[in-house]
Amino acid sequence: MSPHPLAVLLDVELLVAPFDPLTSLAAWQARLMVGLPSIAAAEAHFIGRVRPVTSDGSPLEALELEHYPGMTEGRIAAFSLALAHQHGVAAVLVRHRVGRLKPGEPIVVVAVAADRRGPALRCCQELLETLKHEAPFWKREWVNGCGHWVAGNTPL
Amino acid sequence: MTSGELRVRLFAGLREEAGWQERSLVHQSGMTAAAVWKLLNLGGTAPPATVRVAINHEFAALDTPLANGDEVAFLPPISGG
Repeated sequence: MSPHPLAVLLDVELLVAPFDPLTSLAAWQARLMVGLPSIAAAEAHFIGRVRPVTSDGSPLEALELEHYPGMTEGRIAAFSLALAHQHGVAAVLVRHRVGRLKPGEPIVVVAVAADRRGPALRCCQELLETLKHEAPFWKREWVNGCGHWVAGNTPL
Repeated sequence: MTSGELRVRLFAGLREEAGWQERSLVHQSGMTAAAVWKLLNLGGTAPPATVRVAINHEFAALDTPLANGDEVAFLPPISGG
């Protein structure tokens, strides 16, 4: 039987340890080669790293990222699939760190594969914004041994 | 947890303000997340507008009736990505 036309390769994972975004992307691309019925000609990638300063401009010691086990993964998978269908893309990759991160460490990778650059780029951007506002993550900035919960998101 | 109970969970700043992260509560007919907030003395008569509610891992309205065995969570403002 031929694959369903709306079948999407969805790959979502939360990571508790530092990771290399390029290794994640290369592994994802290898999976696409065997998992997609035809080559996706366009890919959009986003890599986010921890800023070296806090939201008020102080030098950041570490960033702690708390999540809601079960719900966070479930919400990301649900809205990733919905956005993939909405934009008509073939595959979505999300890797997101949790735990304690140092400045400069990768925190998120979002990648989208599609037939055209428009859907790939639009889906990637919308997914990233949705991730920031609809996935239960909470950031705590650490400065000189003191932690402060971040109340909102950074500007686009 | 028995079937006649609710599990209540708090995260991040809410958890630290309350001093606990998870509690069980006897479920009463018609109970809502708003009623749970008040019953557990989590601050004022209702959660601040910035606090969101999740029931069984799905976002929900404050006045959604809860069922036996439900997990209700109060979520401070989200800051991911």
